[in-house]
Amino acid sequence: MSRRAAGWVLAAALLLVAGGLAWWWQAGRGGGRGARRGTAEGAAGAPTERHAFDLYFPAAGGGLRGERRELQVSESPKDRIRKVLEALLAGPAAAAPASPAAAPRPGSTGAAAPAPAAPSPAGPAGLVRPFPPEVKLGSVELSADGTAFVDLRWPEHEDPPESGSTEEIQRVYSLVDSLALNVPQVNRVVLLWNGTQRITFSGHLDTSRPLLPDRTLLAP
Amino acid sequence: MTELHRLVLLATLLLALPLLVAAQIGRPEAPPRGPVVVLDGRELAVPVTITPGGPLFALKPLVDSLGGQLGSDDGESFNLKIDATEVVTGIGNAIITVGEEIVSLSQPPVRGEGGPLVPLDFLRKTWGTVSGYSFDWRPEESRLIVSRRESREIKVSLDVVHLQGMTTVVLQFPETPRYRINQQPGAVEVQVLADRLAPPVRKKVEDSLVQDVTFAPQLVRIQLVPDAEVESYLLDNPFRLVFDVHRKSAAPVPAGPSAAVADLRSSTRTIVVDPGHGGTETGAIGPGGIAEKELTLVLARDLEARLTQRLPVRVVLTRNDDSKLPLDARTAVANQNKADLFISIHLNSSLGSGAHGAETYFLSSQASDTRAESAAATENVGGAAAPAADAGQETQDLQMILWDLAQSHHLAESQRFAGLVQAELNQALELKDRGVKQAPFRVLMGAAMPAVLVELGFISNPDEEAKLQNPAYRADLVEALVRAVGRYLEASQADRRSTPPLPPPQGAVRSNPGSPNPP
Repeated sequence: MSRRAAGWVLAAALLLVAGGLAWWWQAGRGGGRGARRGTAEGAAGAPTERHAFDLYFPAAGGGLRGERRELQVSESPKDRIRKVLEALLAGPAAAAPASPAAAPRPGSTGAAAPAPAAPSPAGPAGLVRPFPPEVKLGSVELSADGTAFVDLRWPEHEDPPESGSTEEIQRVYSLVDSLALNVPQVNRVVLLWNGTQRITFSGHLDTSRPLLPDRTLLAP
Repeated sequence: MTELHRLVLLATLLLALPLLVAAQIGRPEAPPRGPVVVLDGRELAVPVTITPGGPLFALKPLVDSLGGQLGSDDGESFNLKIDATEVVTGIGNAIITVGEEIVSLSQPPVRGEGGPLVPLDFLRKTWGTVSGYSFDWRPEESRLIVSRRESREIKVSLDVVHLQGMTTVVLQFPETPRYRINQQPGAVEVQVLADRLAPPVRKKVEDSLVQDVTFAPQLVRIQLVPDAEVESYLLDNPFRLVFDVHRKSAAPVPAGPSAAVADLRSSTRTIVVDPGHGGTETGAIGPGGIAEKELTLVLARDLEARLTQRLPVRVVLTRNDDSKLPLDARTAVANQNKADLFISIHLNSSLGSGAHGAETYFLSSQASDTRAESAAATENVGGAAAPAADAGQETQDLQMILWDLAQSHHLAESQRFAGLVQAELNQALELKDRGVKQAPFRVLMGAAMPAVLVELGFISNPDEEAKLQNPAYRADLVEALVRAVGRYLEASQADRRSTPPLPPPQGAVRSNPGSPNPP
């Protein structure tokens, strides 16, 4: 083989390798189209994928409205529950500002006098985050009968925020509907506050039993 | 140009000419067509108005095509009769009655040039329910497809149980039929609309109050002895029609669970008014700093004063000061006082802007079912340790039916009262009608009587917060509640005097066999 021919073979091999690398890099970034995009390795080693979810945020007028969001999730239902809830607690997309802390109950640890309800700053589509940013997601469990147990944590506040019934329904069913209508393994949701299941969340809804999703709250 | 070229050019022109003419003819000359209504493939001349809330359809031409009689129309309300079902509708009122059922619409009927204009769900809840029509609105085509649903064959099973002087007849269906109950002298009939019945295997009824139960393709007839009277109820999961038959002279009051039913028959009129929240539970806080718990107490005290002033009732407040009271204790007050009505007064708040208006809640079916399930589970655990003898088991079964029946009755009555409250609030005040709703509210769960939670406005809305601080405005709210209570008591009194209560709206009341012990 002449030097010239060998040069051509080398160039072709380099091109093949470069092409393969480019393909691998693109696939790793989820460069495909559609709801399910390319796969990658999760932090725990489980393969993950981009998947579309409808997150139901509190909306102007007192109901809930869905926002389509793509999240990197594994096949594990618990992972999907956690990712959906974390995205919900982070608030609607774009430049939705953080919701102010809701009025705490007097007597709650670290609480002062009840604060007047300020209008929640809304995102571009009139959506707001369901809880103040201080509320974090604790543990998540899923039982064999499809009951998801969700623990919300705000250690400085013994009780959930005071509110009227519509606000309470928006908060609670934002979580319930987003889970039960997105994760097929979830049929109903038990909500806990700082690790404790309560008889009522903010004085209206009975949260001592699992809650089923309520589609009537969803805006068309 | 040669001869040949000219011939080719000519041939081309000749071929092109018809195409041009056809293209001209094919051009749409008529203006774009508006929405149309199609019945069995035939277009109907029904004017349709598109509004932000959805399409509105002219009622009169629909009556001509679908059947029915448009009765009195005084400009503010009109009556429509479909078969034997009366529909009463008010212009501008999203609450209508279909037979004895109170039904809410997505938007109220309005007055058009040629008569009333009604929304799509009006059609579904009238002709759809009564005559079996289906209405398929296709917004992309601006087309309403109307068709008659095919008749279904529905199996029906029969149970007759007699205990302590009362006979309970249960008709069970695997799916909900469209039906009407006709009370006649010496008999009660269930007429099935649009469907056909597959009757159970014929068996002889041997009972001191029920002579026979006969089945026809669209009719079940319960023949009573001459001095018997009947009350009917609806249960769900599975769907059942239940008929209590007893002697006219003295309705027996079986021990245990049926005491709840007996309470409703008694003449006591006690209203328990529950001011929401209290003590450290402030409820919602308005932007001006007003706490829900303060206003609910003021409103409840006003309501107590006006109710006792205007109606022959006793009123009990669950709290009369700024104290914290557990939710279960509130309904316990009502149960201990054997109340006829429980009204929980609240003011609302929402996340996001723009929420305003009043809404009235009664307990959701889901919550009722869950509670019945857990009560039944408790009962079953006890029963497993000591199996009952056959007779004892039968008694327990009937008691469970009766308790279930009482709870279903409360739910149906709660819905009825909630409809009246909402209608009065809508009529009296310039509030947005947020309608009658259901939710699993804890404070409504333990009530052994019709119970509602009324949200009298949003204090998170600055305008409504300001209004609620005005005593005159609050007086109007309270007056509306007093009128609703008066109408409800009057209607229930009339029920007890004359006909048995009609079944509640289909699908609205669900209940599973539960414990004989009230929750």
